Amino acid sequence: MLASIRSATLLGVDGHPVTVEVHVAVGLPSFTLVGLPDAACREARERVRAAFVSSGIGWPQKKITVNLAPSVVRKVGSSLDLAIAVGVLVASDAIAATLVDDVGFIGELGLDGTIRRVPGVLSLVGALDCSTVVVAPGAHAEAALLSRHTVRVAGTLSELLRSLMGDEPWSDPPPAPHEPPPIHVPDLAEVRGQPLARFALEVAAAGGHHVLLVGPPGAGKTMLARRLPGLLPELDDDAALEATRIHSAAGAALDGLGLVRRPPFRAPHHGASSASLVGGGTGNIRPGEISLAHRGVLFLDELGEFSPVVLDALRQPLEEGVVRVARAAVRLELPARFLLVGAMNPCPCGEGSPPGTCHCAPAARARYARRLSGPLLDRFDLRLDVARPEVSRLLGGGAEESSACVAARVLEVRERTAARGVRGNAELHGTALEEAAPLTDAATNVLESALRAGWLSGRGVGRVRAVARTIADLRGDARLDAEHVALALNLRSEVFRRETRVA
Amino acid sequence: MSPAPLPPEAWSAALTTLPAMGPARLLGLLRRWRPEEAWHHVADASWLHDREVALAVGRDAGRMAELWVACADTTDVAAVWQRHVDAGIGVLTLRSHSYPAPLLDDVEPPGVLFGRGDPDVIAGPRVAIVGTRDASQYGLDLAYELGRDLSAAGVAIVSGLAIGIDGAAHAGALAADTAPPIAVVGSGLDIVYPRKHQSLWREVERRGVVLSEAPLGAPPEKWRFPARNRVIAALADVVVVVESRELGGSMHTVAEAQRRDRPVFAAPGPVRSATSSGTNRLLRDGAQVLCDASDVLLALGLCAALLRSVQESRPEPSTEDAAVLDAVGWSPVSLDALAARANRPLGALALSLDRLRADGWLTERGGWYERIARSDR
Repeated sequence: MLASIRSATLLGVDGHPVTVEVHVAVGLPSFTLVGLPDAACREARERVRAAFVSSGIGWPQKKITVNLAPSVVRKVGSSLDLAIAVGVLVASDAIAATLVDDVGFIGELGLDGTIRRVPGVLSLVGALDCSTVVVAPGAHAEAALLSRHTVRVAGTLSELLRSLMGDEPWSDPPPAPHEPPPIHVPDLAEVRGQPLARFALEVAAAGGHHVLLVGPPGAGKTMLARRLPGLLPELDDDAALEATRIHSAAGAALDGLGLVRRPPFRAPHHGASSASLVGGGTGNIRPGEISLAHRGVLFLDELGEFSPVVLDALRQPLEEGVVRVARAAVRLELPARFLLVGAMNPCPCGEGSPPGTCHCAPAARARYARRLSGPLLDRFDLRLDVARPEVSRLLGGGAEESSACVAARVLEVRERTAARGVRGNAELHGTALEEAAPLTDAATNVLESALRAGWLSGRGVGRVRAVARTIADLRGDARLDAEHVALALNLRSEVFRRETRVA
Repeated sequence: MSPAPLPPEAWSAALTTLPAMGPARLLGLLRRWRPEEAWHHVADASWLHDREVALAVGRDAGRMAELWVACADTTDVAAVWQRHVDAGIGVLTLRSHSYPAPLLDDVEPPGVLFGRGDPDVIAGPRVAIVGTRDASQYGLDLAYELGRDLSAAGVAIVSGLAIGIDGAAHAGALAADTAPPIAVVGSGLDIVYPRKHQSLWREVERRGVVLSEAPLGAPPEKWRFPARNRVIAALADVVVVVESRELGGSMHTVAEAQRRDRPVFAAPGPVRSATSSGTNRLLRDGAQVLCDASDVLLALGLCAALLRSVQESRPEPSTEDAAVLDAVGWSPVSLDALAARANRPLGALALSLDRLRADGWLTERGGWYERIARSDR
């Protein structure tokens, strides 16, 4: 007898439909699995057989062949376990083929017959075009997000068998928590002083500009960066679904409702390898930190301590919003449109600001600054020196503005920006920028003098203009005035140019 | 026809090209023999039998002899000489008539000096202005003003053409365009180091003189700089340290100046400033206090009336901008602190700072604003 069951496998963050064909024939008992399975997938044989026995379903003592089609796609992980088990049941005449005609199965089997949740359920379910899908109880919320299928859950193989046969009704999905546990996002009100850095964060959130914070230890760089996600608006439906797909594929925990609504915040350690940051790996290609930060914030603390190779791998995703991972067998794209926040010390001793307080040799300082390649430094529209706050500000002083106030302004700007056809002003280039950011005469003068004095490069002009556009948006002005441009220039200081020109 | 005999300068120049030929060894050889004889003694290692010279060479004499013989074998003295003639480099030996007079009776005079420019400008009063390469705006301003004012009063500025204080002092001297500048460098005269000072270097050559103990092609090796500092101290009547850390080349220059009983001035700096820690220590140890150029003129026995007043050439800031400038004060300040101090919104403040920066009243380094004192740039 022959059975063919629908399921899906995960490549990167995308699901690919897989048809599990099971053939049961008379002959010496055997169980063969073909169709380019990886190690975890091949081990399905042992899991499925044990699950049958534990569930009290007899294992057919026949020659069983399982083919995973199409055979050119590499099948990774254990998401096909359930489909293989159902295929064996159908092919050995335990259940009728018509019962599973329009049903997809996604799940891993335990040796005791339990059905377990697998990473990437959202993408896997999305790849199926049948009307019903069966998943593990824990994966219900995630599978139901697409609301294209009837989602059924089954806790064990025997329960699934009974439900399929109509002996008992499908079990209810686990109740969704009424309210997702509140995610604690630190508030900007806790930051004392630092008016310029606060303003830079607001501009970054409103315009999607990458930020580089340079300052001595204890200046509050990390504290500031952690408050940036709180200023960003919640993800819209499309963005939330994209982010959820990635988190699901990476096996990251999703909160109660299953959907990633808050912009993610990822802060990998500086020992991160290139594969862990941009994604990849052998065989099973997994999204990296930059993909997990998709539509959110990627915070790289101690930027100077990252390997230069790893940092330069960020350049292409920063430009294009996707990572292209190519391996001998597969080539795939992982989404990675994130807001980059970098933090580092001005020099090896860390005390380099203000000028004249550091004890490093000029050559050592130059070497430290060179750890950041010019092209990468160029991607940061906002670069600022964060000084330690003044003592009086730390202890006394009135309440500072809260994240909620700033987030309201940010949301307003983001809505206005959407009318220009971009998500943030940072995406404005060329003619779109010319049109969106008209300069007053005074503003042109400020830019011109900066260019003449050599403080600004040709490329820098465009970036300063985009930042000035965001500043003007925050203040509700249509045209860019001198003040906006001057502020934008100040937010792009040459953080590593510490030697002074003489004569 | 046999070629014309080479001048003694040619043999001296050839001697300096030998490896590890420091000032003491060179002087030991040249004090004992005439340059040509010295070269032949080196070429056949016979100097080893001369106790005086062997003493000057010091330890490792045997190894040095081998090394020198090997190098002397492959050195074409005539070609070395021709290179210097072609490059327009003057070679001054202790017996040359244009050898700087102040060095003749020095405790450790350079056996050979290479010079580009006019070595005869080393005649009038001279002041060495030295300091850290990693200078603050305060130090750079002060060095520039001193260079300018002293030069205007007819005092030649001696310095090392390094980044920071040295460069600023010479830039000031060139701005005044009165007394010829004198530079002593640590590399060969065809190797401009630091490269950033290429134009400054050329200008000093054109208007004064650049001296070096190193032959053409010699890279700026570490050991050459203390030796260079000794020549600076020996050439100057007064040594001024504008800004220096406690460990630095300037401290070496000061030690050399003290060995020669030259007066040493130090400019006081904030006690917390790392870049002024050395100068402040010098003051505690008894160096003379420098407040402006007149202090130095007095030490030279010159009249302070020689100082010219300087015209302010920068455009007057508006009342609004002037208030911001006052708030900046005289130490580096961040935009944050300035906003609190001047009590102005960030936008208006940024605009004021931008105007002040464009007019030359302020400089910005990595987000920190510093006031510029000098009026001409």
